[in-house]
Amino acid sequence: MRLLHNYHYIGAVILFCIGLYTVIVRRNIIKKLIGLNIMETAVFFFYISLGYVDNGIAPIRVGGADPSKMVNPIPQALILTGIVVAVSVTALALSLVILLYRQFGTLDVDHLMRDEAEEAKEAGE
Amino acid sequence: MKKIISLLFISALGVLLLFVVASMPRMGDPESPTREHVIPRYLENAEEETNSPNVITGIILNYRGYDTSGEVTVIFCALACVLAILGREKRGRIHSYVDRSPVPASPVVKTMVRFLAPFIILFSVYTILHGEISPGGGFQGGAIVGASIIIFTTIFGLWEASRRIPQKFRVPLEGSAFIIFFIVGILGIVGGGNFLTYAWPNIANNLQPSVVLWLTIIVEIGIGLGGAMVLISILFAMMREEEAIAPTA
Repeated sequence: MRLLHNYHYIGAVILFCIGLYTVIVRRNIIKKLIGLNIMETAVFFFYISLGYVDNGIAPIRVGGADPSKMVNPIPQALILTGIVVAVSVTALALSLVILLYRQFGTLDVDHLMRDEAEEAKEAGE
Repeated sequence: MKKIISLLFISALGVLLLFVVASMPRMGDPESPTREHVIPRYLENAEEETNSPNVITGIILNYRGYDTSGEVTVIFCALACVLAILGREKRGRIHSYVDRSPVPASPVVKTMVRFLAPFIILFSVYTILHGEISPGGGFQGGAIVGASIIIFTTIFGLWEASRRIPQKFRVPLEGSAFIIFFIVGILGIVGGGNFLTYAWPNIANNLQPSVVLWLTIIVEIGIGLGGAMVLISILFAMMREEEAIAPTA
């Protein structure tokens, strides 16, 4: 059965769902960011396993390695880009979180939203 | 209630994704559609065309050089945004940063970190310089340098670390990745090709492989230095505490 052959993809799906659950349910912003990173990892994992070949070797042409046995180099090159972008996004988000904590003294999303709503109500009156 | 609804939603999504997985080609199939078109050509010709036995380095720096130059711009923009949000630590005067860790690090940890840091940096130099013949490259080596400095900073505190890597040394190197990419691209135009042409048409054919090799190594060094400095600067900007800056006595 094909679903059992593709068990790497199933792992990626499970990781993605765990990350999405964390993003939706957790109230702490840093935990939401961790969930976002888990989702990114799931996507990277999926891409890298797309490039795998049975009994494949690393795509490095040293010692007369056979090119037809090498794994697909394109997903690895793309995911290197993706990892750098993920690091950039995480750094930017974390610095915003630091600013938010300095301003409000809490990382709880519900508290933050309530503060916003109260302020809006006061400004309206 | 909220948890149950999101759990239902996510399990529906998971089932949908599993249906997609069940209809995908078998993993590891050498005949699968992901191995068509450009892949065999890259695997066959990359060594001759990019002069780097590591096909991935050839793709990143040579075939897709534009992509990578955009990528180093992205990481530089991330640093610029972090500094715009948090501000850089002050230059020129010596500030004392309060050690915020509740428990001071034990002598064992301090000795081990002091002992290991040079070796980690040596390993990263190896990773950067051997990027074209072995697994590795600029981004990986830069990340290893950044990791070693992060270990050092968490153990010894920001003040010690920013004394070892002062700002006047870090600031000019932060943009080095993009600057070196730009210089190499302009050199490609001067050499008679397009922007980011590594094999200059204007020079003798027997010189071309060594020029390509050296340009690749220069770009790797630039990416490594730039990436490492960007990571270190982001860390320092995040650890900086405005309240903790005491006036110098």
